[in-house]
Amino acid sequence: MKTVREPARDIKVWREVDVVVVGGGPGGVASAISAARTGAKTVLIERYGHLGGMATGGLVNIFPNLSDITGKQHIYGLTMELLNRLDKHGATSYPKKKDRGSADKKAVDYYLNANLGWFFVRKDLAGQQHVLYSAVVDPEILKAELNDMVLGAGSELLLHSWGTQVITENNAVRGVFFESKSGRQAILGKVIIDATGDGDMFVAAGAECDNACDNKRRTAWLALVWWMTNVNLRKFDKFKASQPEKYKELMDELVKLGGYPFSFRGILKNQPNTLWYHSMQPQPQRTDAMDVEQLTKIDIEARRRAVVTHDFMKKYVPGFEKAFIMLTSPQLGTQGGRRIIGEYTLSEKDMETDEVFEDTIAVIANNDYGDISNKHPSLCIPYRCLVPKSVDGLLVAGRAFSSADTVNETFNIIPHCIAYGQAAGTAAALAIKEGVEPRKIDYKALRDNLVKQGVNLPKIEKSVGSVASNDVKKDYFQKYRSQ
Amino acid sequence: MATNGNYIREKARDTKVMRQCDVVVVGGGPGGIGAAVAAARNGADTVLIERYGHLGGMGTGGLVTIIPQLADLTGKQQIAGITQEWIDRLAARNAVDMPKKEHWGSLDKELVQYYFKRSFFYARLDRVSYAALIDAEISKIILNEMMEEAGVKVILHAWGTEPIMDGKHCKGVIFESKSGRQAILAKVVIDSTGDGDLFPYADIECETDIPAHYRIANLAVCFWVAGVDHKKMMDFRDNNMKEFMDLMRKANEYGGQGGFMTSNLPDQESVVWFHSRYPNKSQTDVEELTRVEILGHKIAGKTIEFYRKNVPGFEKAFLVLTDPQLGTRSSRRMVGEYWLTEKDLSNNQPFEDTIATFPDLDRGDDSLAHPNMYIPYRSLLPKNVDNFFVACRAFSSDKHVQDYFNLIPHCIAFGEAAGTASAMALSAGVPIKKVDIKALQKQLAKQGVPLPDVTKKVDYKYEGPALVGRPFTPPH
Repeated sequence: MKTVREPARDIKVWREVDVVVVGGGPGGVASAISAARTGAKTVLIERYGHLGGMATGGLVNIFPNLSDITGKQHIYGLTMELLNRLDKHGATSYPKKKDRGSADKKAVDYYLNANLGWFFVRKDLAGQQHVLYSAVVDPEILKAELNDMVLGAGSELLLHSWGTQVITENNAVRGVFFESKSGRQAILGKVIIDATGDGDMFVAAGAECDNACDNKRRTAWLALVWWMTNVNLRKFDKFKASQPEKYKELMDELVKLGGYPFSFRGILKNQPNTLWYHSMQPQPQRTDAMDVEQLTKIDIEARRRAVVTHDFMKKYVPGFEKAFIMLTSPQLGTQGGRRIIGEYTLSEKDMETDEVFEDTIAVIANNDYGDISNKHPSLCIPYRCLVPKSVDGLLVAGRAFSSADTVNETFNIIPHCIAYGQAAGTAAALAIKEGVEPRKIDYKALRDNLVKQGVNLPKIEKSVGSVASNDVKKDYFQKYRSQ
Repeated sequence: MATNGNYIREKARDTKVMRQCDVVVVGGGPGGIGAAVAAARNGADTVLIERYGHLGGMGTGGLVTIIPQLADLTGKQQIAGITQEWIDRLAARNAVDMPKKEHWGSLDKELVQYYFKRSFFYARLDRVSYAALIDAEISKIILNEMMEEAGVKVILHAWGTEPIMDGKHCKGVIFESKSGRQAILAKVVIDSTGDGDLFPYADIECETDIPAHYRIANLAVCFWVAGVDHKKMMDFRDNNMKEFMDLMRKANEYGGQGGFMTSNLPDQESVVWFHSRYPNKSQTDVEELTRVEILGHKIAGKTIEFYRKNVPGFEKAFLVLTDPQLGTRSSRRMVGEYWLTEKDLSNNQPFEDTIATFPDLDRGDDSLAHPNMYIPYRSLLPKNVDNFFVACRAFSSDKHVQDYFNLIPHCIAFGEAAGTASAMALSAGVPIKKVDIKALQKQLAKQGVPLPDVTKKVDYKYEGPALVGRPFTPPH
């Protein structure tokens, strides 16, 4: 391998703080807010000019799976705080409380036909569709609210700042180098939270990680979302209903030309005539989010696909006569990257054991794993999934949590990352208060703190090692099923 | 940890060389586009690295979707080349709006009024001006296509951060990406970062002072609002101008933004465009960039709230997008081999090494006396590095020149010259500072770049009518 020698040099230290959060996506935002609220002097650095990551810049403006198909809500905490704030601006929409869990055909059809409706309905074992709680959000309003929440919590924020490498001392991470228009600088901290999504900090930290992913999984591919607007949806619907064969023929033709035929009704109800295209397509090989050449290739290809689709729809499909591409996502859609090897790694078996871990920091509805989901409608996430096995001073918040690719595929989306971030930020602040490494914090203190913040956690009365007794588990599942 | 006061020691390291090439262009904004396309078309193995996932810089990601000032006050087109190619490709897709060619330079009052009402950019000096409003999304695709056709190796999501210096020679650049820190080695390095990001590491002399009242002193957070009932809004504005202006003032008081421009693009009647000015300490200070970005988003939110409630036609409007790239206007300016300064703003004699001509339209009577600005090749060259071009708004200029001539078409022209010169120097086997200027000019002309006859002695005097309209400072 050809290399160039870069000499040693002195890099300016921009700040010395308690907690440095790298990456302002869902995991990073939640980390910064909760670390700052728990009393740590916190800095959040973000590569782009906005917070929210995939939820805003990626145009993946959906918080799915907040409840299971019985309508039981599992995710609360910062996700709910955020949704409540958006609600005040009319910047979110979701199924009514009374409809969640409902299998009523009228309700199901109504939500299937709503904006991003696919996220509102899932099937049970018998194939019956149920409405569940997912929320569509307005990315632009979300950006402003996230700024407010982070700064309101007392965290400092640096946008347009790309955290590239950690600074290590012995076996611990103690800071981060970042690039910006102000040049290369450093921030020193007692705990660094990697919320880059891809575990960008793992490499320099020497943290053991895994990047393998079965090519069948959603998380194996990159994607680019775009919005097409000025579509006459009534005309489009009428055409589809009245000439289904012609429509199918046209879509087949579009696919042949390299276009993308699938779309959802986009964004919010008060933002009419807009379609949401998520141009994810199975690739012959994994598209690796850590390979800059593949990022480039997919970005360029997806844009081309958007234009082919636009040109074709406009020319041939009723309702699209005056359509235009309103927006391609400012951030390329990445779905999976490096995953830390943590103190505990969640694997497929955990989806079937209903294990209530002693260090559970989140309970997540399990809706997308077919039969398993139906039998085990939720999954407990242990704190140890956020703690690297081999390196101190580092926590992981976001989709890089310690998990097999099977678990990662289903439990790495926006509200999940917020939950991991809320736990990681709180844990970092507690570790600093206690003067211990993050892996050594008192699990009960962490859980109590999270519950105080409104996070929904199972009660763990007694514990054996790191695993709650079967009685406790039964109690918890009994309790929530009866609710 | 080895900290030395406010510094921390970063260890020496070996950084992987991703590629070796002839020309590496850092930054895919207008300057970088011109540079990369021109270098590759002229035979150089060219790599373009861009921080974001799209090309076009301010013209796309900054939502500054305007390519202005292409013809001089007589209506003669002075900027063409790659700029015109971009516009032609948009036109082929029905994704651009501009005054008709036969109207450029026209003094016809009704025509001027018509175009001015359509867009603020379509009239200058009492005349119809050639400016093009462009579709940002289609532009991104067109620019990708142009790179592919020219054979440029594009690397997106890659932030070029530092030059690799060896005395007076720049051996390449270091960039950061999801693949980690890597290097690209090249025979010629072109800084198209807009801000001269490579200057500090290459010890390139530059200025950064900008008086607060200058256009370029301001950052922008542009945003788009869609779902506007265009007809209702226009009817209200035309028939109730006073009330309309009142509402715009109230929008400002509310914490939002008064004043907007219409999209003008085909089928995009429902879209309006908000452009803004935010004073700041420095556009290379990351804390200032953060502050303004947050402020801009707040104001965008307040704007949509106010308009929906109060401005006829905006009842169902929504915020589509705040700019994916913060709107920057100027920061570092090189002091290069030739430094364009205030005195050049009244010089009508082209330089011997002129590589571009820019219409001068924004300075009222001064513009009448100086219809075009000439750009010498030397203003792209630093004094101290022998294989380095600056092809962006950081070209060698003082604040006066910078304030008027650092827009999108200007940067494309810098790029086209730098890229062409790079390839010619490499194929001739000479350093870029020794490139045959006449051959360069001939090649640029062949590429469609209008250039003056530099041998002719110019004796210019304006003889048209006196200005009626007040000169104004444009918002771009």
